[in-house]
Amino acid sequence: MISWPPLLVLFVLTPLVGAVLTPAVSDATGRRSWEWAIGTMLLTSAMAGALIMRVLDEGPFSYVVGGWVAPYGIELHFDEFSASVAVVCLLGLLAVVFSRHYAPAALAPERIPYYYTLLLLNITGMIGFIVTGDLFNLYVFMEILSLSAYALVAISGEKTAEMAAFKYLVMGAVSSLSILFGVGLLYALTGSLNMADVTMRLAGSAKAPLVVAFAALTLGLMVKSALFPLHIWLPDAHAIAPSPVSAILSGLVVKVGILGMLRMYQIAYGSGAIDLSGLNLMLTWLGAISIVMGAFFAVFQDDIKMMLAYSTISNIGYIVMGLGLASSYSLIGATVHVFNHALIKATLFLGAGALIHQTGQRTLSGLAGVGRSMPFTTAAISIGAISIVGIPPTAGFLCKWYIALGALQAGQPLFAVALVFGALLIFVYYIRMVNAFYFRKPQDAGASAVHEAPATMLVPVLVLATLCLVMGVLGSLPLSFIEPAVARLLAPLGGG
Amino acid sequence: METEATRSILPLLAFALPLVAAVLTAPVQRVSERARAALLLVVAASVAVMTLVLAAGAAGGSVYDTYILQLTPQIWMYLRVDAAGALFGATVAVLWLLALVYSLGYMRGEHRLGRYYGFFILCLAWTLGLAYAGNLLTFLIFYELFSILTYPLVVHEETPQAMAAGTKYIVYILVGGTLVLLAIVLTFFSAGVQTFAAGGILSSETDPAMLQAIFWCFLVGFGVKAALVPLHGWVPDAHPAAPAPFSAVLSGVMVAAGSFGIIRTVFQVFGPSLLAAMGVMPYVTGVAGFTVLFAAALAVNQDNLKRRLAYSTISQMAYVVLAVSLLGLESTVGALVHITNHAFMKGGLFLCAGLFIRRLGAYNVRQLDGAARRMPITAACFTIACLGMIGTPPLSGFTSKWYLGLGMLETDRPWLLAVLLGGALMAAIYLLPIVYRMYFREPVITPEDLTVAEGREAPATMLGPLVVATALTVLLGIGASLPGMPVELARLAAEAFFH
Repeated sequence: MISWPPLLVLFVLTPLVGAVLTPAVSDATGRRSWEWAIGTMLLTSAMAGALIMRVLDEGPFSYVVGGWVAPYGIELHFDEFSASVAVVCLLGLLAVVFSRHYAPAALAPERIPYYYTLLLLNITGMIGFIVTGDLFNLYVFMEILSLSAYALVAISGEKTAEMAAFKYLVMGAVSSLSILFGVGLLYALTGSLNMADVTMRLAGSAKAPLVVAFAALTLGLMVKSALFPLHIWLPDAHAIAPSPVSAILSGLVVKVGILGMLRMYQIAYGSGAIDLSGLNLMLTWLGAISIVMGAFFAVFQDDIKMMLAYSTISNIGYIVMGLGLASSYSLIGATVHVFNHALIKATLFLGAGALIHQTGQRTLSGLAGVGRSMPFTTAAISIGAISIVGIPPTAGFLCKWYIALGALQAGQPLFAVALVFGALLIFVYYIRMVNAFYFRKPQDAGASAVHEAPATMLVPVLVLATLCLVMGVLGSLPLSFIEPAVARLLAPLGGG
Repeated sequence: METEATRSILPLLAFALPLVAAVLTAPVQRVSERARAALLLVVAASVAVMTLVLAAGAAGGSVYDTYILQLTPQIWMYLRVDAAGALFGATVAVLWLLALVYSLGYMRGEHRLGRYYGFFILCLAWTLGLAYAGNLLTFLIFYELFSILTYPLVVHEETPQAMAAGTKYIVYILVGGTLVLLAIVLTFFSAGVQTFAAGGILSSETDPAMLQAIFWCFLVGFGVKAALVPLHGWVPDAHPAAPAPFSAVLSGVMVAAGSFGIIRTVFQVFGPSLLAAMGVMPYVTGVAGFTVLFAAALAVNQDNLKRRLAYSTISQMAYVVLAVSLLGLESTVGALVHITNHAFMKGGLFLCAGLFIRRLGAYNVRQLDGAARRMPITAACFTIACLGMIGTPPLSGFTSKWYLGLGMLETDRPWLLAVLLGGALMAAIYLLPIVYRMYFREPVITPEDLTVAEGREAPATMLGPLVVATALTVLLGIGASLPGMPVELARLAAEAFFH
């Protein structure tokens, strides 16, 4: 049963079908669509569990869609790396749970079914992106993901939200075009879209078009990931979107660029057709600049979600720096942070969402003293803050530790210094946040007269905060998935 | 080369109990404040007993260890109680217990007591973890946790001064912590993960530039916590801002945690022979010697009592680093003993300072005129601790300085005795005038000023811990050579370091 082949394709189709049917099952209050979305996410998560059990049992496996054998048809592929769908499903599920009270407060009732549709579509795109083995299919899932993300940012229908979504859309569309161009070039060079096949055929192909292809792919993917200086769309979009959406956007959607880069590296290293050291050097520098700039801008924000959005830019900086250093430790650090940051940032955004929902305030000054009235939410946010700064033994520490080691391994110790001191800069604004919650006197009765958030909000936040701690102390668990994957990625280079 | 370690649950228990208590503080105080006090006292007392049992075991030559968690495929969170750790751990737990009992009286009626007690007991867990950490990463974890999670205690009063002091504290400590992290990353990269070991874990074949980088990152990083001049800026602000019982542990063991880190680094990461070959220690001696005299000179001019005591801490803890930098056996004994002795002397002084604040409303030295008439016991304890701090025999402060002086002669640096004696002389200059004022001046605080405070001796919850701390100061001095005393443990530890 567990190795039933079509499970993999059903895994992608379940949230897709669920998404399409959501408006059909909805009622006037949107309550039914919530239940439907929960059901869909639970089913999807169960499938993810079964697939992960199978990959642990028998190693990587593939499913050929429609019986068209690779390299001609579309192939879905599930390996240790794909076990990351667990994080996607978890965050998706928690975001939906969180939305129960949040969505009716933030959105007009007639938009609620569409909100869940878009959320489920977004999850579909993410899952498809992770499990597909086909370049064009990758692009398609990325577009599902991106388009639903644009719409989710705009869903409240307010003017600012529409502006933010439009900015996001313009940047996103250009980047998608760039990625499509890159994929097209690879297809033109190899006549194949299957990634494993492309890798094989790429050796010995012409240099110049290959460089252009990789440059186009990198550019597009880095816009999606909001690497400095391509980040300008991110703060508004992430700060203005409804909080559960912000959690998904910051936690998962920006990581698409990173995961795409990892795919690209697989092709580049596997084929040995192109030397990426120049690109890597650039990424390392841009990563370092991202860390500092993200922290720098965040310090001057008063809006809590704006701070969190800029913090995402810093964290993407860590990850990209890890990719650019291209040593085995740094890649482990980057990959593990892709997922740990998802958990941490979701904690922070959902926590911030709960604060905003209860108090109606989103500035630090407005939220002063809220630690007294909402002790659990603020405690969770504080754990997230400690975690994102990378204080051991929380989840964020692994990234700092491994990427710093990776910088030494790559012979560039100065980046290790930049990394640890960048983290210090990030601490500055999280300290401001914690100070506001706990140690500043409330300005008016507003923030101190509220109650703790309802259970559907509190439970996801607390679950995530617990994970921030657990993933830190049990760091060897994700690493047992990531280390072999990274070793395989670097194997063609002779170990890195 | 090392003593075979015995698996024991006790280190883990001593560390985990306060953790559990911290979590339970909030729900228990819903029942009653009495229940909270009982919980905290029972936990702190049993932890103190456990650490003393561990210390007794360590004095018998045993080493205990426990594996807690696997952090990454290479690294375990690992506790290992050797003689040095056992001594520091027992010091921490006993001083914490005294400060906790004192808090029950001192903090009565203060705001946010749940937060205060929760974090107070939580930090006991981190500090014990730090004392018992068996490898660098474990050490770092507890070092960072306890640095950051003491922030709520520093800013407890939430006054603008406290907030400013807190900001200064956190910035200094985080920069220091970051350097320590960097040093540990470099060490891991150079030597892999290893438990602390006599003779060091770094090989002398490592790139010399790398060795220098690691050493200075460690020294500056820990130096912030150990308050070496010019990294001491947070100390004089944080102490007056914090509540008195917390000042006591802040001065008594938190600053010492930095020194303890330096001890671990010097003897068990680098090893004396490698450091001697690197030729860095004379610089450390210079910095530490300067700190002793400079901080003492600054202390003379402080009118705020807690501020004066804070400068005294900077000066006294620099003795420890000075002693370590000599890389001699006797001076290392002196360093370890001084951490313990200083903890109880300085702890006692801060407890006195708290009593003066609560009972006389006196924050400043000049307000203490004639205080001995109203509070004879407190004044007597204060005097004994002052004398100990100066190094008068037979008090405990004398013991540590004796070994320190021996070490200076042993390593053939007699001119350093000038620093030792100069520091003691300065201590007399900044401490004895307070004693003089208390006993021989007419009171300036008139009965009309004493509307809030009663101007008489404090109740037993506050006076008791103070008397115990003072008794320890006397006992650790008179009984220094008895078996089971800190000197014996410190000698065991130092011999292990130089094995």
